[in-house]
Amino acid sequence: MFAIWAGKLVTLLLRMRGKDATSFPGKVALRISPKLLAWFGRRIERVIVVTGTNGKTTTTSLLASMIGHQEAIITNHKGANLAQGIATAFIQAASWTGKLRAKTAVLEVDEATFPTIAEALPIVVIVVTNIFRDQLDRYGELDTTVEKLFEAIRKTEACLVLNGDDPISRRLGLRSSRKTFYYGMARETARQDTRRQIRDGQFCLQCGHELRYDGFWYGQLGLYACPHCDFARPHPEFIGTYLGPTLRFSEEGLPDLTLDMPVEGLYNAYNVLAATAGARVVGLWSEHIHAGLANYVSPDGRMQSFQLDVPVKLNLIKNPTGCDSVVQAVTSDPAQKVVVIGINDLAADGKDVSWLWDADFEMLTDDPSIVRVITSGLRAHDMALRLKYGGLSSHVISVIADMDEALDAALSIASSQSLPIYILTTYTLLHPTVQTLTTKVGSHESTNVAYRTSVS
Amino acid sequence: MNRRTLHIAHLFPDLLNLYADRGNILTLTQRLRWRGFSVEVHEVTHRDVPRLSAYDLILLGGGSDREQGIVAEYLKGYKAELKAAIEDGLPVLAICGGYQLLGAYYQLPNGEKLPGLDILNMYTSAGVGLPRLIGNVAIETPDAGIVMGFENHGGRTVHEHEPLGKVLHGHGNDGASGFEGVRYHNVWGTYIHGPLLPKNPRLADVVLTTALQYAGVKEPLEPLDDELENQARQAFLKLRMPEVETSVPSL
Ligand SMILES: [Zn+2]
Repeated sequence: MFAIWAGKLVTLLLRMRGKDATSFPGKVALRISPKLLAWFGRRIERVIVVTGTNGKTTTTSLLASMIGHQEAIITNHKGANLAQGIATAFIQAASWTGKLRAKTAVLEVDEATFPTIAEALPIVVIVVTNIFRDQLDRYGELDTTVEKLFEAIRKTEACLVLNGDDPISRRLGLRSSRKTFYYGMARETARQDTRRQIRDGQFCLQCGHELRYDGFWYGQLGLYACPHCDFARPHPEFIGTYLGPTLRFSEEGLPDLTLDMPVEGLYNAYNVLAATAGARVVGLWSEHIHAGLANYVSPDGRMQSFQLDVPVKLNLIKNPTGCDSVVQAVTSDPAQKVVVIGINDLAADGKDVSWLWDADFEMLTDDPSIVRVITSGLRAHDMALRLKYGGLSSHVISVIADMDEALDAALSIASSQSLPIYILTTYTLLHPTVQTLTTKVGSHESTNVAYRTSVS
Repeated sequence: MNRRTLHIAHLFPDLLNLYADRGNILTLTQRLRWRGFSVEVHEVTHRDVPRLSAYDLILLGGGSDREQGIVAEYLKGYKAELKAAIEDGLPVLAICGGYQLLGAYYQLPNGEKLPGLDILNMYTSAGVGLPRLIGNVAIETPDAGIVMGFENHGGRTVHEHEPLGKVLHGHGNDGASGFEGVRYHNVWGTYIHGPLLPKNPRLADVVLTTALQYAGVKEPLEPLDDELENQARQAFLKLRMPEVETSVPSL
């Protein structure tokens, strides 16, 4: 009990100072009582976990919004997906006597953290978005990530909701021998590949032979089959057809749903598909799914808009595949634009910045509508080198290591020519950038309706 | 330009591409193009037959243990030819898993030995219960000054050859010997990625000079504007390995 009080006091203190209280209260409480999560685990009825490499924050928010339309839920916000972030979510949902105000929790969980919290909570459903190459220094190698997920699944009795288009997730499903539901995009919407992007798991995880692909969506997501053994893409129970502003959701025996996409892009179509599949497995009606999508508020750093003198869009980047999706979205805007890329190398960002070279920044250097790229953060120079060797002319690149100064420089260039600004940052630069931009919006005289805050 | 084309082979990019080898290829090709050379990069996948006589430089990158095993198995048939070419001076840049592959074997924690190419007098073992050697790294090399980057390897490598350099910060080959990498004929083997070459332009140019000589081009490389590279080196050392920055007056 004392741990909960301490957590709540810390929350109050942080809020009084206008600080972000998504992780630190839980950290303090867990230090006082390491078994705090198990204590909460005995007091909550069911927990739905979303994990995976990319899209887990968006998918969690979508699913929380859908289930939250039906009943009160507990959820961790802003991607605070380590044990302390999850503890914080429970502390904030608990009364001073420790009583929780909801029976269901929808939690985003980091893959590496998952085994340590899996046995503490009554997890009934695990939704996995995809398994891509992520921060190698934290996880060792990709195979380690898969092992962590196996380890976690074994500690629960949950059923699985997996991305059937992802061969690594498929392998996870086969090896786990759990009740598994697959979701995937409609077969006929797969594309023949055009750009060279990183593809993990392109070799059969059962026998080592090269997988044959009849089409791709992005990264290693596609229509795969092993020519040598029986490993192949499963026929998904939940099928999505991405139609731009909407996603058609099909499920055998039920009428199709036409879902309004609250966020743009194919990778977000996968998030909507994963969340809806999770909602169906939990037993949600279509009205809750529609209402959840309509009420959804984009989390920080997912094409988050700020209206200053010029429109500013903020995106989190953290690994090659996720970064490619973001850069693709940026370059699909035909307007001339200013781009700011902030790269830090702290623990939460990944201390190894090698992944910058696996990401397809050539999409950016090939884009003639880029007026200026400002690189920033602790590894601003590494990012500038990436662009230089990617072929971007050096007079288009500026290095300004301080993020606030970089933002000011970008605003002054963009305002003078009325250009939009796209900002891409790694994790530890995201929240400071949100704060800076929020302050700038506040002091911007014509604060206008286009800005939707997600900072509550 | 009247210069001949340099042929770089990237061996098994489909299998060994864990540590941004693309950055090394880009650095090599751009630094040649900026000097007016033409370059051809041969992406030799596991389905192709490597034509060693057609290459002026080979790049062997890193992969996961599983993928490395596949490569070792596949390369068995080319072992003798590759060894002969290396003895003859074929330049090879081998990084992480590719570096380990040059040795006799890689011993997994469960004791299983994945055979390597056995070209160098060298072996690697993962040890049992030993931590991965992870972090920023800087070494002092005789012909390319300070080489810096990131290392992340479970394996401890032991060999009888010249090292690539002396460890100034980080772990190196085995976390104990104080040395990093290997130099043998025209082979450079190292655990340093980050990737290796963009922030180490001197090393990139040493490799390129050697490859050009091997290709029969005698003229020296013209200097390039490495202002941004040098700023990146200084910023990286200052922020992440300040004791190296202060101990070495000129980079
Ligand atoms: Zn197979």
